[in-house]
Amino acid sequence: MLVADLVINGLIIGFLYALMAIGLSLIFGVLRIVNFAHGEFYMVGAYAYSLITLSSGISPWFALPLAFLAGSLVGLVSERLLVRPLYAGYANWGFMRDEYAVIVTFGLSLLLISLADKIIGPFSYRGPTLLPPSRIELGPFLLNGNRLLAAALGIAILAIAVGFVRYSYWGKQIQAVAQNRLGASLAGANVNVVSSLVFAISGGLAALAGALLAPFIAATPDVGLFPAVKSYVIVVLGGLGSIPGSIVASLLLGVVESLAAVYISYDYRDTFGLVVLIVVLLFRPQGLFGQKGREV
Amino acid sequence: MKPTGFIRKAMRRAASLSFAALATMLSAQAHEVQAADPIKIGVTLAMSPPGSVIQGTQLRDGLSIALKMINDQGGVLGRPVELIYEDTQGIPEKARAAAEKLITKDGVVAITGEHQSSSGLAAIEVAHRYHIPYLNSNAWSDAIRSKGYPEVFNPGNYNTRVALAVAEVMANLKLKRIVAIAEKTDYGIGLAELIRDLLKERSPGTEYSYITVDRAGKDFLPVILPLRANPPDAIVQLLLPPAAYIMINQLHEQGVAPSNKTWLYEASGVADYPDFWKNVQDAAKGMLTFGLYHPEMPLLPLGKSVAAAYQAGTNRPLNRLMFQGADSLFLIVEAIKTAGSTKPDAMIAALQKTEWVGTRGTVTFSNEKGFKFQQWLNVPYVTLQVTKVNQPIDEMQLVQGPGKPLDPAKLTKAK
Repeated sequence: MLVADLVINGLIIGFLYALMAIGLSLIFGVLRIVNFAHGEFYMVGAYAYSLITLSSGISPWFALPLAFLAGSLVGLVSERLLVRPLYAGYANWGFMRDEYAVIVTFGLSLLLISLADKIIGPFSYRGPTLLPPSRIELGPFLLNGNRLLAAALGIAILAIAVGFVRYSYWGKQIQAVAQNRLGASLAGANVNVVSSLVFAISGGLAALAGALLAPFIAATPDVGLFPAVKSYVIVVLGGLGSIPGSIVASLLLGVVESLAAVYISYDYRDTFGLVVLIVVLLFRPQGLFGQKGREV
Repeated sequence: MKPTGFIRKAMRRAASLSFAALATMLSAQAHEVQAADPIKIGVTLAMSPPGSVIQGTQLRDGLSIALKMINDQGGVLGRPVELIYEDTQGIPEKARAAAEKLITKDGVVAITGEHQSSSGLAAIEVAHRYHIPYLNSNAWSDAIRSKGYPEVFNPGNYNTRVALAVAEVMANLKLKRIVAIAEKTDYGIGLAELIRDLLKERSPGTEYSYITVDRAGKDFLPVILPLRANPPDAIVQLLLPPAAYIMINQLHEQGVAPSNKTWLYEASGVADYPDFWKNVQDAAKGMLTFGLYHPEMPLLPLGKSVAAAYQAGTNRPLNRLMFQGADSLFLIVEAIKTAGSTKPDAMIAALQKTEWVGTRGTVTFSNEKGFKFQQWLNVPYVTLQVTKVNQPIDEMQLVQGPGKPLDPAKLTKAK
């Protein structure tokens, strides 16, 4: 019974991990850079949700899309001001490109944490739950109603995001740029708009994850650290740039951590995901769903 | 016409007298500048995560109030007092570096403010090495006292006191199985082990165990779900915010505690923190809590002045950390006054003989070895039960008043 409880809760948290990680996967898949400020997009969403609901008293259901917008805006501004120079003079960057991306996104992470600490303050803010506190009995299992709802919303949002990328006009442009930026540009795609869109979506999805988890994990300036670390593990485990891979990896991580923390050791809870990552990469260096490739 | 010998002598004498007068005037001015130099006192606090910022803020409030009161009365020894703050983030390495910097670079005559035991344990080594008085405002670990450093004085609460309170409540409730959830720090583990030892004496039939968790953790479900599968009779919570709030919420969310099967005892005294209800909301209803301040505790005249100044400056309820912060600074200044000097030996000797009427009681420092060393032993405390959401401290059910035994008839199991 406990095993089943842990698996179900692992899956619930896994879907929320997927929401955090999918944006990072999208950025890497399209722009080929790792965004070290991804955890702070999550933080922006957690704060936006908590502060809007606590200060204005509006329904948390209205605060969710506002949190998405806040995350998207931060993503958009970050891309426009910090990341665009990376591919504006694309051909000239050479070996410095990745280093620039690391430095500038890491710096952005520190800046956002410090701004939150100084402007909002270092205290924690817990957003209200979407529903009144409830426990749902599903057969022998007792589940928290709000966590179940958060996971369900996470699944719905993931489905919309995947559908958008796969079938919509802008989604196809995203896919084209992901395949070949220069080629897509020559074919008429507005690559700068696509890049901005990717960052906006990524920021918005991470912020939504923060908002959905804010009732359970209060917003603090450093709250983005844990989803950031999880997201990097998930993205590599699932295969860099693979959205289905990120989703599967998230669920795997959620369940493994949940079971191992109880049956092996809670103290090393965060290391089990890394162990799984190492084992998978030993046998599949491209990750679960990634593709092997070679650059010349 | 050249001056004659007599005139030259007179001119030389006049010049010498002028220089002497000028030198005297300048040295008198210099002496005046030195006499007006502020007395610097260092303060180490967590002002950013992962430390407990809410504790740091409340202590700082109390220190600021005390500073103003002291300087409004002319300071001490004719000199104003200046506080120099350092942010330790609750990290021992930073606390050690902060203490080092305050002593060697800023030239402080004493250090105070610390509220996190791991940081305190690191910083007292520096204070001991440089032989500088260290007033431990709120780090509870008994290990800080047991070191026996003559420089370290403890006017705040200590783990054994809390463990006694917890053991008394648990023994009174006659519980079969208790689980403590402690943060993985010197405070958390130290207190968990003290509770174990005291329960063995006072309630030998009670099964007790403790689990340690990372204070920076965000999701404690892997710890909570096994407790839901096999609920104990009581859970004792030994975490500081924000982890404390997350734990309380998740215990409630999973229906573990407080419940009609399981008591929840919050031993860190966080119920009087200004952000407690914002973060915990309905999860704390039915919770028992250890408290170091309650309106039923007699406030002495100094305490009333401090309370009035605090409420004039903020609209927050009174809390014990604010009083502890104020007491720490007042004690240092009192020691300087008694010693007539800022020399470490003189200040330490004065502190050792302290019998000072503070905000909440008369502070004296024991000279018994072990956890009682240079500790104010009679820190007043209470045990409270939360009966309503958003309930202020003064409306919580007082199940154990200051200096009184627990009244089990006042305890109510959660539904």
